[in-house]
Amino acid sequence: MSEINLSDIHKSFGKVEVIPGVSFSVERGEFVSLLGPSGCGKTTLLRIVAGLETVSSGRVDIAGTDVTHLPPEKRDIAMMFQSYALLPHLSVAENVRFPLRMRGIGSRDEQNERVKTALDTVQLSHLGDRRARQLSGGQQQRVALARAIVSRPKVLLLDEPLSNLDARLREDMQVELIEIHKNLGLTTLFVTHDQEEALSLSDRIILIKGGRIEQEGTPAHIYAQPSTSFASQFLGSANMLSAVVEDTGCGPMAVLGDGQRLPLALDEAARGAVSLALRQEDLVLSDASDAGNGAGLKAKVRARVYLGARNRYVLELAGASLRILTGNDQLFARGDDVSLTIAPERIRVLAP
Amino acid sequence: MVSGTPVWARYFAVIFIVCTALFLLAPLFVVMGVSVSESQFISFPPQGFTLHWYEKVLSSDAYVSAAWTSLWIALTVTIAASLIGGAAAIALNRRSLPASGLMSAALLSPLVLPTIIYAIGMLLLWSAIFGPISPLALAIGHTVIALPYVVRTCLAVLADTDPFLEEAARTMGAGRLQRLAFVVLPQIKPGLLAGGFFAFNISFDEAVLSLFLRKPGLTTLPVQIYGQLEFSPDPSVAAVSTMMIGLTIVLLIIIDRTLGLGKIASV
Repeated sequence: MSEINLSDIHKSFGKVEVIPGVSFSVERGEFVSLLGPSGCGKTTLLRIVAGLETVSSGRVDIAGTDVTHLPPEKRDIAMMFQSYALLPHLSVAENVRFPLRMRGIGSRDEQNERVKTALDTVQLSHLGDRRARQLSGGQQQRVALARAIVSRPKVLLLDEPLSNLDARLREDMQVELIEIHKNLGLTTLFVTHDQEEALSLSDRIILIKGGRIEQEGTPAHIYAQPSTSFASQFLGSANMLSAVVEDTGCGPMAVLGDGQRLPLALDEAARGAVSLALRQEDLVLSDASDAGNGAGLKAKVRARVYLGARNRYVLELAGASLRILTGNDQLFARGDDVSLTIAPERIRVLAP
Repeated sequence: MVSGTPVWARYFAVIFIVCTALFLLAPLFVVMGVSVSESQFISFPPQGFTLHWYEKVLSSDAYVSAAWTSLWIALTVTIAASLIGGAAAIALNRRSLPASGLMSAALLSPLVLPTIIYAIGMLLLWSAIFGPISPLALAIGHTVIALPYVVRTCLAVLADTDPFLEEAARTMGAGRLQRLAFVVLPQIKPGLLAGGFFAFNISFDEAVLSLFLRKPGLTTLPVQIYGQLEFSPDPSVAAVSTMMIGLTIVLLIIIDRTLGLGKIASV
């Protein structure tokens, strides 16, 4: 049974329609990410579920009840904000108690018990008496999480809650979020622009572009089989090359703008103009002057960025610029001629 | 000392500070000195020492009733200006009003408009609509003059707050009144206290409006001082002025203890 259900949601701000008709649902206990670039409408969709935005048309159900016209305070939800939104004049424990007080849940003793449990869950029970503003960013984040789970809401909404944390803390919090989600079985809707975050946390990803659903599926499915060039660029920052597919004696070949040819592993694929998605990690780089590399694509090194464990090269190929990641075993300099190879089955052929 | 500051600039700074202190504080000390002078006239430097003039003030019906009038009006103004100014600041901060720029300009305009013109206008308006002047007329006039201070301090406090707090409270089940009580008021409190303090002081020593909007039985302390100075000047005027200075200092100390002067200085 779906815990959140959005049907045919339209939303306009003034004359601008930011959500031109979106439907999706989230099953009970599922962790779903709304992923997309900034301004794509993902946060608006989350705020519509919360009730912080009204809809122009369409219907929102939470736990089988039509809540389209209910204000946020009457919906059984909890939300975590990017800015944490802790009340600065209250202690940590009072912040966590706040939803229970406002909703009139439990006696004073029961509230204390619940606050303690929630703070234990995020390992902050020792800081209950502090003021919220005396805590570090990571600790404030945990308080916000404890406050979100303390009322055991039907639905947990997360608005880029990790984006203000530094990389290390963010990884820790990701692990913690997964654990808490599993243990409490909360239905969670998570908004992010960070593809890695979406891939590592979600049961299902809904990719949003321009207020519409571009693609949805499990992380593995959406990463391995992006259905559009936007999807393949946004998830895994694949390189896109325009090409024309031709039949030759030895199977279909992609012909690039400069006439170079690349074998494809298509059986009955599209013919004619296409876009090729080539992932950074699938491309293999070698020295063009080495014998036996005749089959690779000829490209020129435009820049190399040293990343420590790896190197990122920017290459020029058929008038386009390609980015690839390699190890440290073979280094090239700007201006070098290199040879690029890729396994034919790793190439995704998409509509141009 | 900041290195690299030329010597002449340092001397200039010292002179500047001395002059500021002189013209800011010295007049107050002159008044205090005169208030304990044994002379029958207002003259400086004071001669001898006596508390006679304080005794005269405290036993004078005219002074005491003027003080009560001022106090009641100032308290009314403090409450009215805090309520109206606080509410206006909340609305302006959310930018939810149509023409909020115009509203804000209107609310702050008493800061730059000549009070005497406003006073004449208020006198004519009140007389035309309600007839004789009443304490309410004076309280309303003072409230208008005090409003900009409350609006300004509250807006400054609200500008530092997280705009998502109220939304967050909504997702935690807080209705409109609960948000006002548990989210908005705690945040705006320093601005209200500071603005209320300004409002009280402005009303308590306001002279221009009080001169125009007066009638027998409605005389505020500054008007009483002015009248005394005009018709029978003696050091009792200095004594009552010193007590007003004392009241302001006591208020400042209370505010400092409860809220911290640093906060007021920063808004």
